[in-house]
Amino acid sequence: MYKRLMNPIIMAAIGCLLSSNAMVAQVSPTTPKTVRGQITEGPALESSKDNWAIITWTSNNPGGTEEHFGVVHYGTDPKSLTNTAKSHIRLNPSHSYTVFRVRLDDLKPGTTYYYTVGSMGSNGADDSIKSTIKQFTTTAEPERASRQ
Amino acid sequence: MKRANSVRTLAICTAGIGTLLIFSGTLAAQGPNQPVPPPYNPYPPGILPSDIVSEIARVRGEVAVIENEALAQWHALPPPVLTGQPPTLQGTGQRANQLLGKIMNFDENMSPFKNRACGFCHMPYAGFSGPIPSVNLTMVAYPGSYEFRAGKRTSQRYTYAPNFPVLNFNKTQQAFFGGNFWDSRATGYLLGSPDAEQAQHPPVDTQEHALPDTACIAFRLSTAVYRPLFETVWGTGSLDIAFPPNTEQICDTPGGASIFGGSATPIQLTPADRTKANNVFDNWGNSLDQYEASPDVSAFSSKFDEYLAFLAGVTGATNPMTADELAGYKLFDGKGNCNSCHLDGKGTTSPQFQPDHSKTASAAPLFTCFGSANLGLPLNPRDAIYYQNKPDFFGFTANPDGFGFRDLGLGSFLRGVAAPNPNSDWTQFAPTSDGQMQTSTARNVAMVPPACGSTEAPGPYFQKGFFHNGYIKSLKQLVHFYNTRDVYPFNVTSGHCPAGTIEKVNCWPMPEVRNNMDMTVGKLGLTDKEEDQIVAFLETLTDGFTTPYPDIGTFTGTCTTCNPATDPNCSASRQGNGFLIPTPPLPPCGTDICGVPPVPSPPIP
Repeated sequence: MYKRLMNPIIMAAIGCLLSSNAMVAQVSPTTPKTVRGQITEGPALESSKDNWAIITWTSNNPGGTEEHFGVVHYGTDPKSLTNTAKSHIRLNPSHSYTVFRVRLDDLKPGTTYYYTVGSMGSNGADDSIKSTIKQFTTTAEPERASRQ
Repeated sequence: MKRANSVRTLAICTAGIGTLLIFSGTLAAQGPNQPVPPPYNPYPPGILPSDIVSEIARVRGEVAVIENEALAQWHALPPPVLTGQPPTLQGTGQRANQLLGKIMNFDENMSPFKNRACGFCHMPYAGFSGPIPSVNLTMVAYPGSYEFRAGKRTSQRYTYAPNFPVLNFNKTQQAFFGGNFWDSRATGYLLGSPDAEQAQHPPVDTQEHALPDTACIAFRLSTAVYRPLFETVWGTGSLDIAFPPNTEQICDTPGGASIFGGSATPIQLTPADRTKANNVFDNWGNSLDQYEASPDVSAFSSKFDEYLAFLAGVTGATNPMTADELAGYKLFDGKGNCNSCHLDGKGTTSPQFQPDHSKTASAAPLFTCFGSANLGLPLNPRDAIYYQNKPDFFGFTANPDGFGFRDLGLGSFLRGVAAPNPNSDWTQFAPTSDGQMQTSTARNVAMVPPACGSTEAPGPYFQKGFFHNGYIKSLKQLVHFYNTRDVYPFNVTSGHCPAGTIEKVNCWPMPEVRNNMDMTVGKLGLTDKEEDQIVAFLETLTDGFTTPYPDIGTFTGTCTTCNPATDPNCSASRQGNGFLIPTPPLPPCGTDICGVPPVPSPPIP
């Protein structure tokens, strides 16, 4: 379970914007970027099943583009985190914290993986998260995989 | 379906020469000289709902009632006066255009067998979405003019569709916004309105109205009883087109028929007349769009709109929200995090992340960001599209891939697979768009005929299908999916949840498309009661609270009931589970979908 600071009063966000083609467009504006993303909880393994896993952490709302990505660099050698997984997260401008969750696919069973986490806006702007190297181990045998 | 005793003659259509198609069958003919094709029924037993014939008849009757009402509204309207510079239809011009859109929307003649209007799949009492409960429960897509061809997705609601902007790639967000359809393929690139362009697709969609040529719209309009209204709005003489003698026969034959040889314009018109017919087709889209944008459809008359008026201090407005609905609203914005995509418009007087003491903005929120997301929904094996892998009587096969079809949504459109893509700069973004479907407006997700109460069992209730493939059968399941997709994941397809689990309760089959999956949702930490409160809040977004919703009372069918004492699936959580079927072993994704460059990455199995 992860915690998130909840403001009991409904928080404000920017309202409607007009799009360039004169139709009312309710596109979220870009939230002002914070100086640096700061992890407040995790990162940790949320769940691991078959050949995939979900890594999760909470940070302050990094701001920047609403379309955002959680990023995990991982590998079986802590000195060589050559794989990268990215998952869509949509920021909520009225939340002071953001929960990031990243799905890692095509993992091997019974294997220990090492990883660091980060996040970035969809325009590539890095949130400069500082993350130590963590690890998790996948379950010993995958469930009988079947498309049936 | 072949009939051993049928005799038919087929002649190949050449330019300017008519085609004669003579059949025998048991479908009712449209007129004394109209041919009748045998029905197309490639479906295994149990895929078509058992009441499909009577339900089609019911909805056609309802469509006729609304059509007659709209014609009467037109006759009662004082005519507008064309005056001024530029010439403008003064006085009742806007209303005349809206009524023209309504009349065209419910005109069954806009199909080869004169049996399908737009309204057939989009009825007012369902927020202008699918009106047949048994279809929503089973085959998901609606049978088109040539029965029983059907498409692949749920009918989207008309309400607020006009508010979507022209499809654009936002460079800052590196994402697409706008367009109409689940896959945004009605971009609005020409007409400036995706909703107007959307109205141009179903008429010539082989699975829907199935007209073989867009000029058939002008042809049908030229003999319509409301032709004078069309010419009042769009200009005298706009329907003066020299249609060749075989036009009736062509427009009475469904699109995709092999006799057309792949031509999209089998009606031989002079270039000037083809331009006229194209202009009429654009006018068709524009008027339908304006009907959908009118208060007759996009009403902003929900309980939540009353609440916003109350918060803004509007004289006479009262707080209509119950405690559960308000709690649901708080969760919608808070732990549920729904408003990160389903934007609900807020006051702007406070700095970011600070407590907000401002009044909620009274701007009517649309509950969508106009973008797209892949929510990781499982493949729905009941979807009609999978079974249409055999040719029909006209030599047309809707889906040769069968169960090798995968719905890549926006990605398929950007590759030009689902529909032509008018902007080649967009194609490169297909791999990061695979699986993404439009974020619907949450407004009217819960709209049902008033007699049926809600969308939720035990009811009485009105059965709807939710999301693009109708996999989810109730709002409770919808919220539960967002809440627990990643809490109960199983590496199975639908219909194969392990013993001891219940699909959609504590077993979610694997996503149909794994690529680009949105991880904002999947594990929200909501309790069962909190899920119910969000459902209660969604129900406040239904129009017809502050003012009556036009034509809400046109449902003549039967609400669904069930008995929880005898039916274990008689609950909102398990609604529809009695109709789950095992997904067959899935062949790989068809190369015509997954092999078109830029190919999906990672590859889709």
